[in-house]
Amino acid sequence: MSIYKINDNGIERAMTETETTEFDQTLLDTAKDQAAIEAEKKAKSQAKQNVLDKLGLTADEIAALLS
Amino acid sequence: MGANAVTTVYDFVANQILTAAQMDNVNCGIPVFATTVTRDAAFGGAGEKTLAQGQMAFIEATNTTQYYNGSAWVTLAATPGLTCVKAETTVTATNSVTADNVFTSSYTNYLLLINYTISGAGQLRIKLRTGGTSASTNYNTQIVEGNGTSLTTSTAASQTSYIVGAFGSGLEAATSVQLFGPQLAKATTIMAGNTAANGALTAPLYEQWYGNHSTATAYDGIEIFTSGTNWTGVYAIYGYSKTL
Repeated sequence: MSIYKINDNGIERAMTETETTEFDQTLLDTAKDQAAIEAEKKAKSQAKQNVLDKLGLTADEIAALLS
Repeated sequence: MGANAVTTVYDFVANQILTAAQMDNVNCGIPVFATTVTRDAAFGGAGEKTLAQGQMAFIEATNTTQYYNGSAWVTLAATPGLTCVKAETTVTATNSVTADNVFTSSYTNYLLLINYTISGAGQLRIKLRTGGTSASTNYNTQIVEGNGTSLTTSTAASQTSYIVGAFGSGLEAATSVQLFGPQLAKATTIMAGNTAANGALTAPLYEQWYGNHSTATAYDGIEIFTSGTNWTGVYAIYGYSKTL
């Protein structure tokens, strides 16, 4: 019995073995995709913080600038 | 034949004495006919008007209102701007949802609306489908996120699916997804706008994923799934009218 549920064109049922294998792969792929997005966000955030650190702004000033 | 139905559209002459029945006839607004046959017989005969452009008629048999355009009768009908091609479907604690045979040549562009909550952390994502198989490559998106005082942007290319929702963990969220030409054998442009809450409904946030699926394939369906534990909600798909 699959641990996953699918609404297949309006019919709720458990995924078949093949669908379960495919969905496991989908989740692995999605995790990699999301990790790439988070890595880019983190890199951009760090680059922005480095510039702000150079400018010597206070936390309040940074918040005002970025809001 | 109903009480308002007529069999003649009169053409009166000077000094003619009119009967009560004739006056009732001309006082009935749009002439009402039992069928298109009695409608056609009501014009052009002795003492009847000649059919001309702008003439109106109501047909009892079909409950339709028509006008004559000078060469043919045309039925008045409002064309809706949006037509539901996938009726609102309830999804309960489900990992993945498929809707096949919804993208056709009847429409070029489509609107997918999803009201959702996600159990566990994760996003709501879509894949385009053809022949019952989901496409798992070539999704590209520019991301803009407004969260509190922070506005961030990022780009994600060559993803295996397309994000359309996030931050729906246990709190009501909604996303609006516009798909441009998914049924055409060329790249599909996708615009998704999501509103959710960051831990509390008093802390709303928004995200936009504007991008495309760059594979030049004609798709007929869509898969909506979550990378969280499961998702609950409703979704419906609409086609944008191509005509007036």
